[in-house]
Amino acid sequence: MRVIKRYRIHAGTFAWILHRLSGLGLIFYLLLHIWVISHLSGGEESFDGIMHFFGGPLFKLAEIGLVGVIFYHMFNGLRITLIDMGVMVERQKMLFVIAVAVWLACWGASGAVMISRMISATG
Amino acid sequence: MAMITFRINRYNPDDERRGHYVQEYQLDVEKGTTLLDALNEIKWKQDGTLTFRRSCRSGICGSCAMTINGVNNLACETQVLGLGNSTVTVEPMRGYPVIKDLVVSLDPLVRGILAVKPYMITHSPPPSDQERLQSPEEREKIDGLYECILCGSCTSSCPSFWADKEYIGPHAFLKAYRFIADSRDEGSREHLEALDDRHGLWRCHTIFNCVEACPKDLNPTKAISELKKELVRRKLG
Repeated sequence: MRVIKRYRIHAGTFAWILHRLSGLGLIFYLLLHIWVISHLSGGEESFDGIMHFFGGPLFKLAEIGLVGVIFYHMFNGLRITLIDMGVMVERQKMLFVIAVAVWLACWGASGAVMISRMISATG
Repeated sequence: MAMITFRINRYNPDDERRGHYVQEYQLDVEKGTTLLDALNEIKWKQDGTLTFRRSCRSGICGSCAMTINGVNNLACETQVLGLGNSTVTVEPMRGYPVIKDLVVSLDPLVRGILAVKPYMITHSPPPSDQERLQSPEEREKIDGLYECILCGSCTSSCPSFWADKEYIGPHAFLKAYRFIADSRDEGSREHLEALDDRHGLWRCHTIFNCVEACPKDLNPTKAISELKKELVRRKLG
């Protein structure tokens, strides 16, 4: 018997899907991080080599993306915690808007700092 | 009066070869016509094979819950012209196995509700001269909880339920909290028993589809957060 598994998308759906995707992204990053750090066991040359590889501008930009992923997961996680504690359950869409606003503000501010450091490092 | 096209998802278990298909019906609809009126009109005058559940036609029994233009609602409480479209798509509620046309199997709904012991449990003897009384303030605490008519709209829309057929479901959580919040009930432990489980409360991902879907504007997610708090209090307290 056929069972349809979808429903109209709304703020809660976005919050949930982004939370899942950012969570997967963080797991991927952590594994990558552990792999990079594991080069320490191969000695100075091995570690410097991998750090040089990840020191390129492409990865610097990816780091800004990573900060965005961390901030989203963090602020939406706080939103979920508040909901679980019964805070603003009836106004969850407003809570999502607040979480997104704080997320973008923090991401924008740290992104600006990171970009200015990148520019000053190259210049 | 307006000519409305009804696109109805159909399925006949005796005609597996044809499978699921959409059939269109045209009907002149006047102001005040509910979707249930329209479906009855189609069934009585155009196609007697069209199958759907209905009973009270006044928003109390929950039988005629279906997916209307992508949104779960009761057919008897949906004004056809109020939908604002010349085409109305009617599907069986999503998430449940379809038995025939708009009729779905509500077995998962029943399994979930029975798990939370959906009745008042008392251990103390009742007062000899009167019924168990409740103050207006105590009574107020079950507002937004007791109104559930068990139509199944919330659980149908819930991704946690799609992923886990044994998930107890938001309808049952709301019902469980309805009794736990009731000052006369003494069986909180019994109601909570099934909820602290991998098919229980912790599988809710606060997606709020249940709140979006409820035709009675109830808030199962709020009940879920209250139940989570109650479980934590019991574990830590």
